[in-house]
Amino acid sequence: MFKFWQKAMALMVGLATSLPLFAQEKAAMADLMRSNGKIYIVVAVCLTILIGLFLYVTSIDRKISRLEKENKNQS
Amino acid sequence: MVQKSWWKILSFVLLVYTIVAGFLLEVPRLFILNETIRNLYFHVCMWFAMMILFGVSFFYSIKYLRGFHYRNDVFASSFAAVGSLFGVLGYLTGVLWVSVTWVTDQGQSLASVLKEPKLIGAAIALLIYGAYFVLRGSFTDIDKRARISAVYNIFAFAMLFPSIWIIPRLVGSLHPGAPGSDSGNPALDRNDMDAGMRMVFYPAVIGWTLIGIWIATLKIRVALLKDKILMHV
Amino acid sequence: MTRKVLALLHKDILLELRQKHTFYGILLYIASTVFVLYLSMPESPDAQVWNSLFWVIQLFVCVNTVAKSFLQESRGRMLYFYSITSPRAFIIGKMIYNMLLMLLMSLVSLIFFFVFLENPVSDSLLFVGIVMLGGLGLSLVFTLMSAIAAKAQQNAALIAILGFPVILPQLLLLMRLSKAAFGEVFRDGAVWQLAGLVGLFDLLVLVLAVVLFPYLWKD
Repeated sequence: MFKFWQKAMALMVGLATSLPLFAQEKAAMADLMRSNGKIYIVVAVCLTILIGLFLYVTSIDRKISRLEKENKNQS
Repeated sequence: MVQKSWWKILSFVLLVYTIVAGFLLEVPRLFILNETIRNLYFHVCMWFAMMILFGVSFFYSIKYLRGFHYRNDVFASSFAAVGSLFGVLGYLTGVLWVSVTWVTDQGQSLASVLKEPKLIGAAIALLIYGAYFVLRGSFTDIDKRARISAVYNIFAFAMLFPSIWIIPRLVGSLHPGAPGSDSGNPALDRNDMDAGMRMVFYPAVIGWTLIGIWIATLKIRVALLKDKILMHV
Repeated sequence: MTRKVLALLHKDILLELRQKHTFYGILLYIASTVFVLYLSMPESPDAQVWNSLFWVIQLFVCVNTVAKSFLQESRGRMLYFYSITSPRAFIIGKMIYNMLLMLLMSLVSLIFFFVFLENPVSDSLLFVGIVMLGGLGLSLVFTLMSAIAAKAQQNAALIAILGFPVILPQLLLLMRLSKAAFGEVFRDGAVWQLAGLVGLFDLLVLVLAVVLFPYLWKD
């Protein structure tokens, strides 16, 4: 257990010290994804999820509206 | 139909805008944060939405005590429930974000990250509303439950604000813009949020809050319907 | 108003003197908790650990001390109070009484800590002051929580659940503040600033309690 933590710490320190070396001039960004257009896939996936979520909530909203109407007619 | 639900459509439009603009627009290039700066549009909005929803819940609790209308209690508890949901989401996304920025890049241990003042504030808020629901659960009498839990809601929410204001002054912060945090802070500074980011951030907050309100109104309508049916039977 | 508060206070103290077993019960609770700590801790814990242990114990002592203040009142007696006093006088009376009781208990637990777990405090007088201030704040918050929990027909566990998140910032303030008594050097005036913040918290709790208690009072 202790060894694991030691390793993990070493890894963290290593990462922390090495990262600035990679990117001395510019902070690393996902430029590659942008250049070959793959970022649009990410956007599309998120939008699909969002649209699905909204459709679901809207359907619940409608169902409740119908129930409210029925309830009003009954009473 | 459309006139009544314009804000639901607005919420949808704003969130679509958030995702499209949030992923595609240019953001400031910062070390350590890199692309994760875009989390601002999602993770931080969870906290904003949570606080707004809790605020609405607080408002309805006061309203309940002023007139003892049962409706207001349903409103207060539903908004508190959805607020807690956003709080939990905010906590989870925060853990993800922290694990790639502060923990790995900065060599902070997880224990020291969890003592971060904003996280303490968030944890207090979640604990308070957890206690609120436990309290609600322990009553059988509806009126009594509404009254007592409204009192606790008001008291706890009023105590939350000074807490959030004070704790950062006690514990050193990693979060941006906090007094006492060292310079060389890897997270966002208020100055780092340039005009372009603001153009996405504020609509995002409004969009997320509106969908929270929408879900809360659904909960309210279901609760009121249930009561109506119970009364007729 | 003042007379009513005084009368209620008098009644609570009289009750305490008549039913000594609860009082001794709390004393024993403090003694046994500290004794358990003494046996389970390494010899002479450092000041940091000592400090946090002390405040956590204070928290639990407070829950136990204040818990009974509303739970002990039977339904019939509450109805009697309802007919003779106002809710504001009642809650203020309770708060003052719990404050006095908690101050006493704080002193007792401090003495136990000094006896069993050594004394890392360099400025004892200052620390006693801080402990008093802390006891005051704790008792105020938990009095109101006890009033809420009593309505829910629940035990001390609910008081703890309700009270802990609310008291947490104050507790952090107090832990920070007590470092002044351990010889840590503060900026000029920082000690008073922190103490003032705790005081403001107490004031806020007091105001909220006076405003909100009338709603808890009626059944």
